[in-house]
Amino acid sequence: MSDKKAIIKSENFCFYYGSKIGVKNISMEIYPKSVTAIIGPSGCGKSTFLRSINRINDLIANIKTKGVLLVKGHNVYDKNTNLVNLRQQVGMVFQKPNPFPKSIFDNVAYGPRLQGVKKRSYLQQIVEEKLKAAALWGEVKDELNKSALALSGGQQQRLCIARALATNPDILLMDEPCSALDPIATGKIEDLIDKLQTDYTIVIVTHNMQQAARVSERTAFFCLGELIEYDSTVKIFRNPAKKQTEDYVTGRFG
Amino acid sequence: MRFFIRHITDKIFTILTVLSVIMLVAILAVILVPMLRKGLSAIVFNGTIEFRKMQLDLFSRGDIDELKNEDIRSRLYRNKIYETIESFKQNIDSETLSDKAGVIYRNFGKELQRKNIKGAEYQKLRSLSRELRDKLQAVFKSSDKKFIQENISDVLKFKNDIAFKDTSIDGLFVLAEDFASDIEHIDLSRRQQYAASLKELENIITKLLGPNPSLPVPALKMDRYGATRRDIAEKLLNRLLWLEQWQQDSPGKPMKRVITPRAELFAGTEIEPLFNYIRENLDEILVFKPAFYWQYFIDDSTPGHYFGGVWPEILGTVFLTLAAMIFVFPIGIISAAYLAQCQSDNLIIKIIRMAINTLAGVPSIVFGLFGLAFFVLYLMPLFGGPSKPCILTAALTLAVLTLPVMIRASEEAIRSVPQSYVEASLGLGAGKLTTFISVILPAAMPGILTGIILSVSRVAGETAPILFTGAIAFGPTPKSIFDPTRTLSYGSYDIAIGDKLAALVPHNQYGMVATLIMLVFCLNIAAIIMRAKISRKLKGH
Repeated sequence: MSDKKAIIKSENFCFYYGSKIGVKNISMEIYPKSVTAIIGPSGCGKSTFLRSINRINDLIANIKTKGVLLVKGHNVYDKNTNLVNLRQQVGMVFQKPNPFPKSIFDNVAYGPRLQGVKKRSYLQQIVEEKLKAAALWGEVKDELNKSALALSGGQQQRLCIARALATNPDILLMDEPCSALDPIATGKIEDLIDKLQTDYTIVIVTHNMQQAARVSERTAFFCLGELIEYDSTVKIFRNPAKKQTEDYVTGRFG
Repeated sequence: MRFFIRHITDKIFTILTVLSVIMLVAILAVILVPMLRKGLSAIVFNGTIEFRKMQLDLFSRGDIDELKNEDIRSRLYRNKIYETIESFKQNIDSETLSDKAGVIYRNFGKELQRKNIKGAEYQKLRSLSRELRDKLQAVFKSSDKKFIQENISDVLKFKNDIAFKDTSIDGLFVLAEDFASDIEHIDLSRRQQYAASLKELENIITKLLGPNPSLPVPALKMDRYGATRRDIAEKLLNRLLWLEQWQQDSPGKPMKRVITPRAELFAGTEIEPLFNYIRENLDEILVFKPAFYWQYFIDDSTPGHYFGGVWPEILGTVFLTLAAMIFVFPIGIISAAYLAQCQSDNLIIKIIRMAINTLAGVPSIVFGLFGLAFFVLYLMPLFGGPSKPCILTAALTLAVLTLPVMIRASEEAIRSVPQSYVEASLGLGAGKLTTFISVILPAAMPGILTGIILSVSRVAGETAPILFTGAIAFGPTPKSIFDPTRTLSYGSYDIAIGDKLAALVPHNQYGMVATLIMLVFCLNIAAIIMRAKISRKLKGH
């Protein structure tokens, strides 16, 4: 893996909510076209780190950062960063399925429309393609005008993935995408992640260690805002270097 | 035991909630049902022939032939009233009688000239006729019966005088004979009193039956017709039959209302039986027929609020409400968006919020005066317009009045849009504005519509803010937003403060109020249906 050039690279990245530390001194490299899982106990800053990558954390007032966080070689916290471009390159899927209260079609077409695509036929093409990529096409192809909220939770989450894919991102951030879903829906999402990693760089935050083990190639373990260990998933789960990691993955974490 | 108590308290709570709902419904029913029932009386009532005449004249509605037949029949009954009054009036009116005698005397003089009678003969007849005239005029002015009888018999002595045979002086004798027979029942000392009472009586009869057909048609449309409805007719009949006076027993004591039959004023005269006549024949005189006047909603009122409907008022209310909403909607939503987005511990935001809350509680008349001072007197001239109240200024004033309601409701709605929508939209690369317009606004729409419902109800019914800024009671339908308009709220207010008007057309006032209630109800229903549709769409059903 190390022969690949990192698509996301952070060096001593620190994030503060006002005076409270979110994450500190994170230095890690995330490689393209692979799945990277971030695990750790609640409040350890894994979501904070993930949400820093596309600066969706900017919604919160009084935030401060230190260090460098590079996405495709550009510092995202640079003053000149174009947030629109950044977020189109770095798509995001949230913890709870959050489709817009619009039709399925409009949900997927939201991103392309923002990019200025107006032609209906082209939009239709994108929607079909992305729904297929999100393994939802077969279930919804006849009711694209139905409200997205009428779908089941798992379908909604896949729709959100399709919506995120529609802007043609290189990176897909997933913030506990299965935590609100039942096992069957979770399974489908995991299959989807597996399929998507051939085209996209996926960073997934999860509480579910089996999930991390199942889907990811590399795993980072966060604790109390710090990166404890970052290695291949096999190593993290079988033979972790640090005691803390071992305690966590074996369930002895207090 | 604890379980039992909990069970009892739960039950009590349920009963209390049900009771409060029932009470609310009852209060609403107590307020609304009579209001609507009375309002309905503007549309469904017992109409008189006067109503049908008015409809035919002013709106060209109704069956002309049938109305003619009715009119002929009612005339039969009416004529007796007019004749009785006319003859009575003559007898008590010494001046008219004197004038008549004078005219006859002058005509006689002309007749003599025509007949070429000259010299001493002319002088003789002339002075004799003058003497007769003077005697009669003295008789007419006198209230001494003995003097009258003596003089009349003096005058009548000449009746068979050969010189007066077949001349116009005969009129004098007819006058004298009529007077002699008529005054038998009249107390001549009360002549002045009769005249005043008769005037009042005629006044009421004119209101009840319309103007005397022998007189020229009155200039004002409202004076051309009598009572148009049974309730009004009965009210007028009551006034006709009973005289209401305020008396004070002794100085310092409160005034007392004394009601006596008006007929007593005319005791012993030929007028006296007239009261019973009118009462007994009211049906024939006014020809009551049930009327269903649905055109009340589409007729202009002609003139003032006397006859006709409330169409201009409905139009004005709707226009004004919509115009106010056009101003309130964008400003309210933008302000709400700003407030919803900002952290509430900011000092400026705190001040703004306090200002909004204060504004929401300011009495509406204050907004009316503000509108007059700011929009009418300051802004209109500033933009080169005339400093005149109009729809625009009224709508702006109403907009200011209802802005706090709108902002608060919209802010609540915008705040309640899930943050996840915002995150999702921003995460897809949307800007703040795009996110607001395409995600937050649609999701907040039901709440915003609630704000609009509240605003519409408030705006449509407000009177005080438009009092000085664009409402008129009478006047033409506005042609542009720079004209003042009539509204239902101001119309009913105007009827209420015009003391005579409220007594004459109470049905119209209730009609306006009921129409206003129904109008607001309809607007609300429309908004509620819209809200329900949007909500359903948002929920994905």
